Amino acid sequence: MGLMGLTSGFFIGLMIVAALGSVAATVWLWPRFAGQRPAMMASRLGLIAASQVLVLAAVLAFVNGFFAFFGSWSALFGNGGSVPVTVSGAAASSRPIVVTGSDLGPVPGGSALPEDANGRLASKPPHFKGKTTSPSNVAVAPGLDLKGGAVAAARKVGKVLQITVTGSHTGIVSAADYVYLPPQYFQPAYAHVRFPVVLALTGYPNDTWSIVRWLDLPSSAANLVARGKIGPAVYVMMNVSVALPRDTECTNVPEGPQAETFLAQDVPQAVEHTFRVQAGRSGWSVLGYSTGGYCAAKLAMMYPYQFTSAVSLAGYYTALQDSTTGSLYGGSTAFRDENNLDWRLKHLPAPPVSVLVTSSLVGEHDLAGTQAFLRLVHSPMRGYSLLVKQGGHNYRTWVRQLPQSLEWLNQRLTPAIAPSQQAP
Amino acid sequence: MGLTSPALMAVVAVVAAAALAAILWYWPRLAGRGVLPVVARIGALGVLQLSVLGLIFLIVNSSAEFYSSWSDLFGDQSGGGAIVAGQAGTGENAVSSQALAPVTVLAASAVAVPDRPKEAGGQLQTVRLYGQLSGISAAGYVYLPPGYGTRGEAALPVTVVISGDLGSPSNPYSAGALAGAAASQIAAHRLTPMIIVMLPAEVGQHDQGCLNVPGGTQADLFFTQDLPQVIGSAYRATPPATRRWSVVGDSSGGYCALQLAMTSSQTFAVAAVPPGGYTAPPGGAETGGSPQIRAQDDLSWLVKHQPMQPISVLFTGGGTGQPFVTAARPPMHVGQTSLPPGKWQLTRVFDWIGSTLQPPAVRS
Repeated sequence: MGLMGLTSGFFIGLMIVAALGSVAATVWLWPRFAGQRPAMMASRLGLIAASQVLVLAAVLAFVNGFFAFFGSWSALFGNGGSVPVTVSGAAASSRPIVVTGSDLGPVPGGSALPEDANGRLASKPPHFKGKTTSPSNVAVAPGLDLKGGAVAAARKVGKVLQITVTGSHTGIVSAADYVYLPPQYFQPAYAHVRFPVVLALTGYPNDTWSIVRWLDLPSSAANLVARGKIGPAVYVMMNVSVALPRDTECTNVPEGPQAETFLAQDVPQAVEHTFRVQAGRSGWSVLGYSTGGYCAAKLAMMYPYQFTSAVSLAGYYTALQDSTTGSLYGGSTAFRDENNLDWRLKHLPAPPVSVLVTSSLVGEHDLAGTQAFLRLVHSPMRGYSLLVKQGGHNYRTWVRQLPQSLEWLNQRLTPAIAPSQQAP
Repeated sequence: MGLTSPALMAVVAVVAAAALAAILWYWPRLAGRGVLPVVARIGALGVLQLSVLGLIFLIVNSSAEFYSSWSDLFGDQSGGGAIVAGQAGTGENAVSSQALAPVTVLAASAVAVPDRPKEAGGQLQTVRLYGQLSGISAAGYVYLPPGYGTRGEAALPVTVVISGDLGSPSNPYSAGALAGAAASQIAAHRLTPMIIVMLPAEVGQHDQGCLNVPGGTQADLFFTQDLPQVIGSAYRATPPATRRWSVVGDSSGGYCALQLAMTSSQTFAVAAVPPGGYTAPPGGAETGGSPQIRAQDDLSWLVKHQPMQPISVLFTGGGTGQPFVTAARPPMHVGQTSLPPGKWQLTRVFDWIGSTLQPPAVRS
């Protein structure tokens, strides 16, 4: 992120200074426009409008940085339509995941650690501190090439890596995604153990960091593992939108981005190739909120041999198309139907997966749609619901639903068990 | 007043408008020098700013339904719910999930190899395959190499042959001819023992391209996801992730084979097809009325517009200037071989497949 990055402290600070400056200028110049002529009136209106716009812009920049809606200018405005799709094969396929930054994992319960291993991760993206590393010296799993104190720290709290994923089949490149490797991943007892994977998807529009910062996924998982509620797993956190600012709804857009193939096939293949994780169905599940919830359910239903289960936090189950998506289905209502999960349950055999859907009895407008979807689920697919009494379409609601969701997922994944823990 | 109530929005809007009007009108009164007028100006601007920002927040919030109530906004909601298993519903229009076996063997016969003992040829089974995800049930054949039942536990590579006329003995791509050619090559140790699955291109209605017809037969789903499960469940077959699955098509199944390799290289890493342009599936494309889907069904368009897939393709027969030969770059590899017509063609195809397949992974 450069100095003038959309979410950089410098840029947001500059916007705030400009807003304060415009208010100060208005106050300062006030007496000069105190006349009664119409021109004076117009000037007043102009002064007020200018300061309003600048204050609003500063607030939007701050809120965007705070909630991580759009992570960069290109995510907000696109990159002029030049989607880098063509990839030189050899380089891409040999390293589908490049680590671009790293930090220590969250501390379960917030207990103290050495200063180096700070407990403040949850408020800071790793890329604030992590230095960008080139593919040649980036240590990829299982080595991860840690030394000395870094090893000791990673064995206590694990690591959060910032990664760039290149889809070998789709050519889609997704940067600034994250992987949480639990402490066990670095412990000698688990040196030859393969971990189950939870693929976590953002909503739209979002920066992937939202999953760490707002959904609190790594620290929620760390707490549950520390309390013995779930086993350790690798969490792969991805932006559900592969072509921001466009909302691609994890769809293989005809003549467009093949977002479904990227998330369902390229990403698992890249992760299985890079990290010490289990391969295929019994070791993989997918979780997401809002648009990511729809995509979690959809990917599991369409690729039941890759994902054994899915959690949809406040997702929806029909095929969306609006001004943010553009044309997603090549103008074909039949193809749109195929992306409608209700339609699939009515017209195609049910896939052998388990799906947990969450909603709120008050405050979530898609409650009825969620219940309708659940009623359509039939064997061999299994549907589960988690309804809270009240809660809007926001992180607070999802954070409350997350621990139970992770426990539910844990029951459906093949656990990572160190040899010493295994029964003889 | 509720956080999302129109009344609250109206009140804030009125406050904002009144603040703006008052500022414009009473401007001269606040134009004096000294501390008090300056403080008054700042205060007036502050009221206006806050009411405008508040109004924008209320409008955005109520349209996106982020926070449904004041308690939601200020975070004094707590408590979860219980996870409830949905009833194993019988959705009214739901397709009944038939408990069909993935593989039903209808008949089996030994494959003869000239000048060899009877058991040296392997076995040809007539089967019906059922795909759980697509719901497609297809009649076909499975060839098992000699010693299939007795050999060690090593999983075998799989070749899927797609041909329109498997049942007619005169067709060079009939099931019997295919099994015979494979058996001869295996007996001569020129082909690694493998399972050969033979299926027609048209496994569902309205499709001869092994494509997912929008809103219709999901033939692509059958070949790419169901078939590995079906074969893996009944036979000692290696999974596609080992990159030891190949697909072969004749004049009627060539489009299928090339299409499957180009769009699902996760399943099919190797393909052998006759030369051709492959601009549309045989029998025409069912595109759900979408010109974009029609464009994607043109495999020569695909090779120019999607990233190169990690596949090896052999064009079996003469012909030059195919878009695939000129466009292909690593990791896609394209080979051509001019083959004389006749039954030796299959031998050469199997030779090539044998030499192209990944060697079995060595476990350390």
